Amino acid sequence: MTPQQLIDTPDLIAAGVAGDEVRRRMHGAKTTFNRVFEVPVDAPPAALPARVNAGEFRIVGKPSTLDALTAAVRATAALAGEVPVTVFSVFDLLSLPQSIRVVAAAIKEAGASALVHLPIDRVENAELVAQDVRAADLIILSIGVDDLDDNNRLALCEMAGTLQSRAGGFKAFAPLPRKMSVTKPTTGYDDVRMVALARVVAQNIESIQVDWALYGPKLAQVALTVGANDLDNVAAEDPGVLGTRRSPLEEVKRNITAASLEPAERDGLFNPR
Amino acid sequence: MKNIDEISARVREGDRIDRDEALDLYLHAPTALLGELADRVRARKHPARIVSYIIDRNVNYTNVCVARCNFCAFYRPVGSMEGYVLGFEEIFRKIDETIELGGGQLLLQGGHNPDLPLEWYEDLFRAVKARYPDFRLHALSPPEVIHITRMSRLTVPQVIERLVAAGLDSIPGGGAEILVDRVRKLLNCHNKATADEWLDVMRHAHRAGLRTTATMMYGHVESVDERLEHMFRLRDLQDEMGGFTAFITWSYQPEHTELGGFEATGLEYLHTLAIARIVLDNFDNLQASWVTQGGKVGQLSLAFGANDMGSVMIEENVVRAAGASYCMDEAEIVRNIESAGFTPKRRNMHYEILGDPVFRERDVPRMLELAVARAEGDDSRPPEIVRYAARSAQEKKLRS
Repeated sequence: MTPQQLIDTPDLIAAGVAGDEVRRRMHGAKTTFNRVFEVPVDAPPAALPARVNAGEFRIVGKPSTLDALTAAVRATAALAGEVPVTVFSVFDLLSLPQSIRVVAAAIKEAGASALVHLPIDRVENAELVAQDVRAADLIILSIGVDDLDDNNRLALCEMAGTLQSRAGGFKAFAPLPRKMSVTKPTTGYDDVRMVALARVVAQNIESIQVDWALYGPKLAQVALTVGANDLDNVAAEDPGVLGTRRSPLEEVKRNITAASLEPAERDGLFNPR
Repeated sequence: MKNIDEISARVREGDRIDRDEALDLYLHAPTALLGELADRVRARKHPARIVSYIIDRNVNYTNVCVARCNFCAFYRPVGSMEGYVLGFEEIFRKIDETIELGGGQLLLQGGHNPDLPLEWYEDLFRAVKARYPDFRLHALSPPEVIHITRMSRLTVPQVIERLVAAGLDSIPGGGAEILVDRVRKLLNCHNKATADEWLDVMRHAHRAGLRTTATMMYGHVESVDERLEHMFRLRDLQDEMGGFTAFITWSYQPEHTELGGFEATGLEYLHTLAIARIVLDNFDNLQASWVTQGGKVGQLSLAFGANDMGSVMIEENVVRAAGASYCMDEAEIVRNIESAGFTPKRRNMHYEILGDPVFRERDVPRMLELAVARAEGDDSRPPEIVRYAARSAQEKKLRS
């Protein structure tokens, strides 16, 4: 099945099988997931809440200044200990007046290990941005998509593959859009096709990733059977009120196992935990 | 165990499979194969690639219930401050809103309220029909019918006859849960209706000329084999009576319930739906349960055997109480049907096609959240309730 056929076919099952074949060839049944503790850039906590077990501390939100960002990184690094600290997203950092190379160097010095999420549909000169970040001895972990429409699916998957070929270093491609219209969200068919398409087209990127918190267990689990092999952004904090069986860790493991796949926890830098 | 390929070949040929074969498929067939087989059955029954839906409103006339099912987060015991009964005028207002959105039916279900006698239902149905002669009442699941027989000391056929005379048009398949008494005892719903009693109400309804639906709520205490027993009991009754229009399955929603636990996964829903499509070869229609699975998996149901997107619903109280709060208005349902490559058509409860989407013919307000039975804090009592004899001690005390 060609990528265009994969988009056009009314046979969703066949599209899913095409994505799954590539995924099985690359990863077998192994399915990685990552527990993330999100830290608002403008309000890093003074102390960690109880019952946090994270593979990544992720600073989120648009920073007002570079100083504010580096302060948040330092505060978070002090909480995180050995756990990697990352900053989300590349697009938000581009709004700062400093160059991305300067920004990357500053947050690296403050204690960050990587950047997360380069939205391929929004970042111009993505290859140059990736090179500048690398020049500061920092990596960008994932290519992502913010907005998606019916006409740019294949183009975005091809752009992700091309960026990886030219710049390299990306661990994952998250093809499902992060922004969703309230009145016209993507449909389940859209999401399944996009995941399968991404897996088939961008085979030079190791992992196809779905955001567990954003897409929810049901769609994320289905995505694992049509091309995805990595679940990002599982909650690191377990309030414990729902009991052990309903903890975020058990829920994600249960969903992976119920899809006849094998769960493997990783940290923010894609190292096994 | 039979060879999955052999069983699959038989399904592709249109042969009926037995319970052992269904179990083998359920336990061992990969997701894609189940989808392919279920889609073949759907395509055989609906070759024109039409996916239907209905505009109706899911109204729960009372949440007071003596059944006390441990999987239910909706009910309130008799005498609870949070208990309610909707008044006739409130129900009329809901009907007006439904008609405004292009709907022509209420799905009317509620708790087993000991203070609502048969006459209350008869008067309500007559009042609705007098005011809205063409409006349809898809009302009172089998356990509710049984509850009314117990209170009225009439037989099931007698109660059905009186309700039909008052205006009942069809019976929804709620309260089936899993039609295995071992399971029903564990769910504390054996007393409201045994498996045989549930099926018997449907048998009598079909004999009375009513069409009904059938449901299954899975994912709590039952085994996979018991899910299949449920499906095969429905298949047998459909062979006998032919009165079911559709089958709807959904996963148990655990939030705020006494039973607790966790929800079955999205893939388990798609597998269960696909198996149902394969086993229930004498059912014409299978609905997608977007209200429990969300719009995305609800739409994916169309690749796993469903040919109907269910109801626009407008209002929902029971599943919401247990933690699920998805909403799809007509425009969203239609968009999902079309983006899956199907043609959307409006239908009635009998699955007769009524036409194209209403919102394309006239302006219909968008609905981004389902309504609820009552506004929070509204503890009003319907004025007509005093016309009916109170049965519970709590209600008698309240009136005195």
